[in-house]
Amino acid sequence: MIALVALVVLSPLTGAIAVAARCRARGAGVALVAGAIGSFAGSIALAAGIAGRHLQGIGGFLYVDPLAVFFAITISLVVVLAAFGSAAYLRAEEDRGELSSFQVRLYFVFFSVFASGMLGSFFAGNLGLLWVLIEASTLASAALVGLEAKARSLEAAWKYVIISSFGVTIALLATLWLFYAGSALHLTSDERLTWSYLFAHAHALQPGSLRLAFLLAVVGYGTKVGLAPMHTWLPDAHSEAPSPASAMLSAALLNTGMYAVIRFQAIAKMGLGSAYPDHVLLVFGFVTLFVGVIFMVRRGNFKRLFAYSSIEHMGIVAVALGFGGMLGLYGALLQVLNHAIGKAVLFLSTGHFVLGYKTRESSEVRGALGALPLAGGVLVLASLAVAGSPPFGVFLSELTIVRAGFAGPAPLLAGLFLLLVVVGFIALVGTTLSMATGHGPEEPLDPYPRRSGRILAGLPLVGGLGVLALLGLWIPGELNDLLVHAVRAIS
Amino acid sequence: MQNLSSSSIEGTLVSLSSVVILLAAFACLGSKLFNRYVAYYGFQSVVLSFACAVVAYTYDSAQLWALAVITFAVKGLAIPLATRSLLLRRLELKRDVALSTGLSTSLIIGALLTTFAYLAIRAQDLPHGLVASSVVPLSTAVVLLGALVMVVRRHTVAQLIGWLITENGVFLGAITLVATFPFIVEAGIFLDLVAAVLIMVVFVSGITRRLAEATSTELRELRG
Repeated sequence: MIALVALVVLSPLTGAIAVAARCRARGAGVALVAGAIGSFAGSIALAAGIAGRHLQGIGGFLYVDPLAVFFAITISLVVVLAAFGSAAYLRAEEDRGELSSFQVRLYFVFFSVFASGMLGSFFAGNLGLLWVLIEASTLASAALVGLEAKARSLEAAWKYVIISSFGVTIALLATLWLFYAGSALHLTSDERLTWSYLFAHAHALQPGSLRLAFLLAVVGYGTKVGLAPMHTWLPDAHSEAPSPASAMLSAALLNTGMYAVIRFQAIAKMGLGSAYPDHVLLVFGFVTLFVGVIFMVRRGNFKRLFAYSSIEHMGIVAVALGFGGMLGLYGALLQVLNHAIGKAVLFLSTGHFVLGYKTRESSEVRGALGALPLAGGVLVLASLAVAGSPPFGVFLSELTIVRAGFAGPAPLLAGLFLLLVVVGFIALVGTTLSMATGHGPEEPLDPYPRRSGRILAGLPLVGGLGVLALLGLWIPGELNDLLVHAVRAIS
Repeated sequence: MQNLSSSSIEGTLVSLSSVVILLAAFACLGSKLFNRYVAYYGFQSVVLSFACAVVAYTYDSAQLWALAVITFAVKGLAIPLATRSLLLRRLELKRDVALSTGLSTSLIIGALLTTFAYLAIRAQDLPHGLVASSVVPLSTAVVLLGALVMVVRRHTVAQLIGWLITENGVFLGAITLVATFPFIVEAGIFLDLVAAVLIMVVFVSGITRRLAEATSTELRELRG
């Protein structure tokens, strides 16, 4: 089992190894794709092996439970999609001379470290280690944001690094207070940071300190999730990073932050009862949802639009966690998976438009269906999927969340939730439809001159969309079991 | 777990250091010159490393000795020197004009935040008679003051200093509240790495001469 965890966590490093072996964009891209697929396969095998149990090792530093495996599957799937996209996008940029070969090498090294750090954080049983790994992956991702080293991308990188560094510091403070909350327990120092012990002894933690720790964790890790009002770095970073890196930020990094919040929430619920943690997450969730939707209404840069849509979805997940109960938590996890796939596809499709139309303004992209049939079609379908239209998975998970809301003590909140989601739907699909239709350029655009590039860039779009449609129609029994076990692991 | 009592000599030394650290944060908030920011920050870090050494001596903890040495070497010497030579001199920064609120207003807000820190932390039932009960509210105040510096200053270098002050506040709280925290050295090294990255980002963008001339007030391209 430990070997499988090592496979999941370390496989994405193949990209960095290929760079060390002096490969160019093509070689590194292929190596990264292979590593990502290995990691995904490993996490599937882990899900089969763990089967609802949990496993602890290396002095509590390693902890594998269904929740961790679920997140590992989600993130490694995103890494697979983004690795395909990276292989195509970076090669096209290298061919066009937009990025030097040094920048390309940097990209692959940091992409690998970023992916590997995130996957590692899920299996960290020790909350101190969790903090270190999440922050290490954030540092690696900052390099991806500022990769192009233009004034705008440096500005975005600065904003990203300074705001998330502050979040880091607050998250450290949360970890310290949680550690302090356990000072009355008869445990060794390492055990007082180990999730399973904390979860088991949550009722014996000092309530005042635990409450402070939870609040600080929501703010600190919430900075990474993009919960409002700590979300301001997010649209800038997403719009300036290369498209596959945006996909990773949106579909993987935000969820990693959410994973940490879920772990803290589980302890807080055990120790304080569910009212306080639920209310905190409901407040943050609704504010985030509102901010995301309001800014989506404003048209402009389409990558910013998708970034605000990510903020909206993180708000949805936080609201679902706040609704709580079996249904709410199940919906939250399903939403994490569906949003991750949908948003990865959406950001990867923007790579086609950025390369083809050479702009990031939605008003300058017209007639995409004619000029770029595949990417244009995927753009429309994926935005419908992300916005929550049937038959895609997001519809199902949002429906589950609404049901959880109506089953809860405040059905009015579920109504408000529905209203905001509908506004978000109109804003998102309205913009992408206007990009897809209308008078486009006369001759078809050619974002990826090489045939291999077209295939590499097209595969994750079609594949991701297929998975998303499948999840909307049918949830495999194994996935359902995994989700149920994951919910049990935190309640 | 052993605890530092506030009546012992060591406890008094740590208490005094924490007051000096708070004053340094206030001095930074009340200043307008870049080299003063750096000087106050360096001074604050040296005092922090002293407090850390006192705690390390009391508990006889190798981990905390390591943290004290790292704090002195990196935060007390390396970061201030690097900031001076790479940022202030190279980018010719002297007087900070990018303030969003006046100095006196920000000092008053700082005082309010310090009061708030006392009120917020008193509720956390810290054990009486221990040095933590007097230092942790102060360290929380330092965290908030650092955040305030980041909010009222718009220049990238000033925001960097604000973050560094916040970090000092976190470690001051850590060494008194949870001296046995197993990851304390790793966290220290890690945040120093983050600081290095931040300095590098400001430096690189300063070299391209785009971000340096602009304060973040003028960075208006990315919004909405």
